[in-house]
Amino acid sequence: MMELYQIISIFIGTITIIMCILRFRDGQMSLGMLLLWILIWFVIIFISIFPNTTNYFALYTGIGRGLDFALILGILLSFYLIFKMYTKIEIIEEELTELVRELAIQQNNIKKDNKKDKDISKKNIK
Amino acid sequence: MKISVVVPAYNEEKTIVKVLNDLIKREFEFVVVDDGSKDATNKIVNNIIKKYNKGYIYKHLLNRGLGAALKTGIEASLMKDADIIVTFDADRQHDPNDILKVSKPIINREADVTIGIRDFNEMPSSKKFGNRIMNLITLIFYGINVNDSQSGLRAFNRKAAETIIINARDYGVSSEIIGEIKRHHLKLTEIPIKTIYTDYSMTKGTNTGEGLKILVKLIINILK
Repeated sequence: MMELYQIISIFIGTITIIMCILRFRDGQMSLGMLLLWILIWFVIIFISIFPNTTNYFALYTGIGRGLDFALILGILLSFYLIFKMYTKIEIIEEELTELVRELAIQQNNIKKDNKKDKDISKKNIK
Repeated sequence: MKISVVVPAYNEEKTIVKVLNDLIKREFEFVVVDDGSKDATNKIVNNIIKKYNKGYIYKHLLNRGLGAALKTGIEASLMKDADIIVTFDADRQHDPNDILKVSKPIINREADVTIGIRDFNEMPSSKKFGNRIMNLITLIFYGINVNDSQSGLRAFNRKAAETIIINARDYGVSSEIIGEIKRHHLKLTEIPIKTIYTDYSMTKGTNTGEGLKILVKLIINILK
């Protein structure tokens, strides 16, 4: 019988992995980031399905079961925040690129206009 | 039909003169996108444009990557009323005679997009490995199996150039373009091209580099 937290983390993990793949396909995520996020979420899903594997670590560190819930929740939340931040940075990068592109195109247009003006003034002098 | 050759260039002062002279000799219109080069690329290209009164340069103030440079070049070419847009690497790895070869199916209206495929048998084994991996990744994520997903020599007709949306800024752009071709049901033809492997071009092109290099770049990307 599955506990509620297991279902929730499997659900969130699966959705995030799908989101990552979709973002990668749209070119909004690099391959390295995609692989990293898939790995992280697979680990989270794995631990939720087999929570007993964490007992090894609990034994090692001496953390009791009571803290587990808070820990898992905290880790989930911080991963979510990191993901949010990554997405934000990606958007800023995209806007920066758009700005650089627009500047490049406008600069080129200005150059052309200057050339035209020069040509006209040359004609006028003649 | 007006062909516009888009040449994305990042620190290519050693090779750009030869590449542009080849294009001018064959009377191609060209658009160089200087992707924030820190060397003399910009100056050299400006001098050539002034000397022959041919071609255009677009300068990215910051280095934004291959994908961003290609997008700028394609947009600029569309503004200059190009009928066919060809992308061409600045590292001299392509044979300029192949430009007409990849444009032909588009002139004959047999294709919307063509991709020049390099002969993997002639490719140094270090490069072959990386390219095979990228072909596999293109197949897995975009569901399309092509012979050379990372080739820098491609040709688009106006319709294709207008419909393809490029988001990737780095080397992932090559796979994304192929995904876009599939998404918009554009007709793709693959054409064998020559590739010139010089010591210089061997050091260029991150994802066409050896598998190890890809791995290192992936790790760096994660840490960035």
